[in-house]
Amino acid sequence: MPDHKKIVIDPITRIEGHLRAEVEIDDDGIVQEAYVSGQLFRGIEIILKDRDPRDAGLLAGRICGVCTNSHFRGAVSTVEDAYRIEVPKNGEIIRDLMSLALFIQDHVTHFYHLHLLDFVDVTKALEADPKMTSKTAHLYSAKPYANSHSHYIYVKEKLAKFIDSGRLGPFSNGYWGHSEYKLTPEENLLLLSHYLEALKFQTDISKAIAIFGAKTPHPQTIVVGGVTSVADMLNPQRLNEFVFILKEAKGFIDRAYIPDMKLLATAYRDEIKAGAGRSVGNFLSVGGYCFDNEHMLFESGVIYDHDLETVEKFDEQLITEEVERAWYKDDQPYYTDLNEDGTLKTANKDDKYSWIKAPRYDGKTMETGPLARVLISYKQENRFIRPFVDEFLEFCDLELLDLSSTVGRNAARAIETAYISEYIFKSINRLVENIKYYDTETWSKYTFEELPKEAKGRMFLEVPRGVLSHFINIEDQKIKNYQVIAPTTWNASPKDSRDQRGPYEEALVGIRLDDPSKPLEVLKVLHSFDPCLACAVHVIDIKGKEIGEFKISANCTI
Amino acid sequence: MRILIVGGGIAAAYMANRIKKLSSDADVLIVSDEAHSPYDRIHLCALVDKSATIEDISLAVDPTVQIALNEKITSIDRKSKRIFSEHSVFSYDKLIIATGSIPQTLFDISTLKNAAVFRNADDCKKIAEGIGDREVLIVGSGPIGLELMETLDKMPNVKQVTLLVRSDSLYDKQLSPQARRVMESSYLSGGKITISYEDEIVEKEIKNDEIRLLKTKKLQIKDPFLIFGVGIKPNVDFARETLACEKGILTNTKMQTEDPDIYAVGEAAQVKEFDFVAGHVKECTLQADAAIASILGVEERDFEPEVMIDMLKVDEYELIEVRSPEYSPNFEKILITSEKDHRIDEYFVENDKLTRFIGINTNVDIGYIESLIEDGQTIDPSYLYENRLIGERGRLICSCEHVYHQDIVDAVTTYGIENFLEYGNFSEAGRVCGKCKKMVQDVISDSQHLIDPNMPKKSPQDIEIEKEIALAQKRIEKYNRLHPQNKLDSEQLASSLDAFDISTKEVNSWISMVTATMQLHPEFEGVVKDGVNHLNRLPIIWLELADCSGNSEAFIKSSHPGIADLIFDYISLDYHELLMSASGDQSETVLENIIKEQKGKYVLIVEGAIPMAMEGKYLRIGPQGETGLELLQKCAKDAALIISVGSCALDGGVVAAEPNPTGAVGVSEALGREDVINLPGCPVNPINIVGTLLSYLMFEELPALDQFNRPLWAYEGRIHDNCERRGHYELGEFVQEWGDEGAQKGWCLFEMGCKGPYTHANCPTMKFNQGTSWPVQAGHGCMGCVEMGFFDKYANERKIDEE
Repeated sequence: MPDHKKIVIDPITRIEGHLRAEVEIDDDGIVQEAYVSGQLFRGIEIILKDRDPRDAGLLAGRICGVCTNSHFRGAVSTVEDAYRIEVPKNGEIIRDLMSLALFIQDHVTHFYHLHLLDFVDVTKALEADPKMTSKTAHLYSAKPYANSHSHYIYVKEKLAKFIDSGRLGPFSNGYWGHSEYKLTPEENLLLLSHYLEALKFQTDISKAIAIFGAKTPHPQTIVVGGVTSVADMLNPQRLNEFVFILKEAKGFIDRAYIPDMKLLATAYRDEIKAGAGRSVGNFLSVGGYCFDNEHMLFESGVIYDHDLETVEKFDEQLITEEVERAWYKDDQPYYTDLNEDGTLKTANKDDKYSWIKAPRYDGKTMETGPLARVLISYKQENRFIRPFVDEFLEFCDLELLDLSSTVGRNAARAIETAYISEYIFKSINRLVENIKYYDTETWSKYTFEELPKEAKGRMFLEVPRGVLSHFINIEDQKIKNYQVIAPTTWNASPKDSRDQRGPYEEALVGIRLDDPSKPLEVLKVLHSFDPCLACAVHVIDIKGKEIGEFKISANCTI
Repeated sequence: MRILIVGGGIAAAYMANRIKKLSSDADVLIVSDEAHSPYDRIHLCALVDKSATIEDISLAVDPTVQIALNEKITSIDRKSKRIFSEHSVFSYDKLIIATGSIPQTLFDISTLKNAAVFRNADDCKKIAEGIGDREVLIVGSGPIGLELMETLDKMPNVKQVTLLVRSDSLYDKQLSPQARRVMESSYLSGGKITISYEDEIVEKEIKNDEIRLLKTKKLQIKDPFLIFGVGIKPNVDFARETLACEKGILTNTKMQTEDPDIYAVGEAAQVKEFDFVAGHVKECTLQADAAIASILGVEERDFEPEVMIDMLKVDEYELIEVRSPEYSPNFEKILITSEKDHRIDEYFVENDKLTRFIGINTNVDIGYIESLIEDGQTIDPSYLYENRLIGERGRLICSCEHVYHQDIVDAVTTYGIENFLEYGNFSEAGRVCGKCKKMVQDVISDSQHLIDPNMPKKSPQDIEIEKEIALAQKRIEKYNRLHPQNKLDSEQLASSLDAFDISTKEVNSWISMVTATMQLHPEFEGVVKDGVNHLNRLPIIWLELADCSGNSEAFIKSSHPGIADLIFDYISLDYHELLMSASGDQSETVLENIIKEQKGKYVLIVEGAIPMAMEGKYLRIGPQGETGLELLQKCAKDAALIISVGSCALDGGVVAAEPNPTGAVGVSEALGREDVINLPGCPVNPINIVGTLLSYLMFEELPALDQFNRPLWAYEGRIHDNCERRGHYELGEFVQEWGDEGAQKGWCLFEMGCKGPYTHANCPTMKFNQGTSWPVQAGHGCMGCVEMGFFDKYANERKIDEE
């Protein structure tokens, strides 16, 4: 495409990992084509081969330090699935508590620290009137968080010093002054003050994860058959501490995060209504998180082509993978390099350009994550999540479909966070009930030597960024093959042999860049997916057919 | 490691002590051909006039050093790594030859009763016993001969001393006649001494192993006692067959001979690069330091000849010589003399630069002369003349340490030093060669009246700490000057803390915690706090390579309510992919700017492994698609300090675990540098990052590191030794399976594969996430994540012997 200008953005900051985007724009600045590429390959699955299956968790956990306990839990659950080991209720709940606390931490950190500066112009906040800021906050919340006049004065002073110094630290060299920034000075200041509060928030919520996980990132308490933190579970003070932190978190979410999201959805209403950042329209969720012995937090299902009225049943046998455009040949890395000038090789339809493989469901590109979970759970008549969604949409005067956009994706994430931060207490209650009636079991006994020498397992788990699946093939009590499809593998996938774009790429096509030298619009779209590249890059190994050999057990324990 | 030192002088003792200090488990043996333990040859005169015994001048040697006496080495067997004496054989891993030199004589005197050289205790004994009422003839007017002559002059039983000088000057033939006159007059005034210039022995009569008569060109001396002071040559004959020698044993600048396991130092060694043979104690110690550094693999340094200062002190005059290693006899001389004051300043100049200075009773500032020579400045004779009387720091007292009279007085009055022993906490003056010890003692006692009686008395420890604090303070203040343009100030930090309702008390307790973590004395808290306030001055680049962002995440989540967060906010983290708002070209510009504008000042923190296979292309970053390695090299080149955080940056971590598909290595290996500080852990405990940054600000030197370059203050303790469950281990109470009674009660996890016994880190005390927990507390046990190659060794739940 000779008359299209190519823009390269690398590194894309404020995400986990090494992501590059190249977009081709026409004379009006409209993106005609996009290529998204993972630029790091580590080969964790190759490293997992030939190891003792019981060690998979500690090693696979290192796939990512941001989705930190997701892979740890995923790997251990996969081994348990292979050996048909049932985890005791308490073990499962403790794992859920760690996972759900991670959802909360991850979503808040993502919005405030990794994404907010795409919407908030730090320099504009200086013009804000503190009193007006306080009033603005009242438009979106009855009891706004840290809403005193003097607090805003302080935040302003602090920002002024940062900017004055000419050394903005992490704030340096943003696209300040860009026309895409739409908030008033007061709205900017309000959100920035929560940026600072959120720094403290995430430290506290991490503590909750560490109560049962020993530490985070990289907790260390999940073992094949259960969890090890039984002494913490039996200590009422530890449980209280967990509850206390979660209550504080809920306060911040209800009084800052949700109102901020409402503010954003209002300010960017035109953009939402125009469907900016809308992607392929195919959504995938595997559901999960049984919170009361009966009901799931999220439902499983599949939506095609934005047809929200038809939710299909999820069938794991329909998952396939392709590496036509990724740096693999068969199941081996096969690097074809970049162009001389450092750009991606994309001139031909079969040029390879990313370390991320292309998973497909029923041959289609799927978007996964909070948006998929919210849409599918809502349409699957999950009566618990509905009030959270309805309240938000009503306040902002939006429809469910509007959530499929850049800002909407963030709204779905916030709604989900509020939902989880309420229902996590049900899980805690369930744990307390168990302990009260003398069920202190946290580990299912097995004798490793007596387990089958050959076994296959897989697991599907909803984690903050979407559907995570691990697959294992054990031979002679060693890992023969290991395979991961992470949420970002789905979302950041490259094109395939039929030239279908990945969700990131699809979302980028059609957006308009105001100033190609400051591609803020591109960042905004990409950040709305919360990319996590360390997770995304995995060797292909399993062909569609083989997945059929795994059996889905349709109970609560996935 | 068995280190063998041959020789019995200062060099041998100095090295043995130094090696023991740096590496207490080294096995050190001194082999000497003398009958006495190492002693200080500088004080040989005291043995002649019997004002001291050999014990008085013996050198302190670490008690764990073995000493073999009366063993004259005859040969070296490099192949079997052994050395032989007449009766014994000694094996070594590293051999250090410090045999010094042997004095020359004009004819063989070994069997003669009334002739001697002046080099060791036996010579002194021979002189003292043999003089009787004989006339003493000293041949040679170098510093040694002059010193001995002065000693003899004062001994009542010595009636007559004659000095035989081949040239027409004393001390050095380049010295001016004026200088000779001043020196001469001090010797001749007593009437006991005769000096015969341009004279030499021409004939001798020997009978029954005794010299009966000596005839010189000008004199005849009956029944003399002859002492040769005509020069020395390296004592290396025993090594000539096995090692390359010229004058001395040839070495490189690490003092290594052609055999990498054999070193030579001091007068026995000849540094090939400079064609240099040492003649001063200070040079010998510099060489010893270079050799030790190379042997122990600590902070390698090379020997390089330095400007040397020499002194000769006689009752009536004082001679100071300052000499450049570049000195050559092609000089012009500027002479400034005063007959009245017996003062002579001789400036040796070559190409307008000063190469040597000799002053007699001089008043010039020797420190200035020294720097003049060192810097190679063009000299300005009128300036030298104008300042001929101004030595602000007073007389030079210690030529080894370059300490002046006023320096000692200042130390005495500032710290209330009462004696030589206390003074040792501040300076080595008087302790290197020991020649000036008495003078140092005199200055200290003479300046006692200047001490303010109201000054509180401090213990040597207090003083030591005070000194270190002062040093740290100075270092931090340097940063004030470094970035004066930075408007971020400590007030901002204070007001941030204030706004988050963090009280001064809380901050102080956090500071105490950090101070304690860094294993510093509580007195350091003030300076740690100051260091924290200065953290914003340190530009930081944080690179993420083949990583999972776990360490960045951990750092953001830091370890104490609010405070560390704010500090993090405050630190000038100028480039960090996860957090900064700029992307693509913009972020690259930020990076380029720091590298260019803060050249040599920024700290580089690296997270993640470096894939080396496939030309490093498993990781590419930036618009030009640089590989991770290229980016790392670019950033590392001008970094003031490189810190690797997390286990992947240590040795490749999980990425380099078998079969290491991307050929991943750690930062140190990727850069081929040994000065990278490693802070491993999966993830690293953030307090260790803060502590390392602070210690960089506060101390000139890197913190003490272990063999893997991990700071000892964080990685010295063994998990097992500090574990909260250690008591259960001692009682034999072990968890046998997950969730059992022991697990519920918090028993020892050793049977469940805890790797605490093999792991060194401060996890048990620091814990994670605001001290919430750590792997042992949460019932899992340690997986050794700070150790090399832990994913292939320790990352499982089985005891090591089951593997």
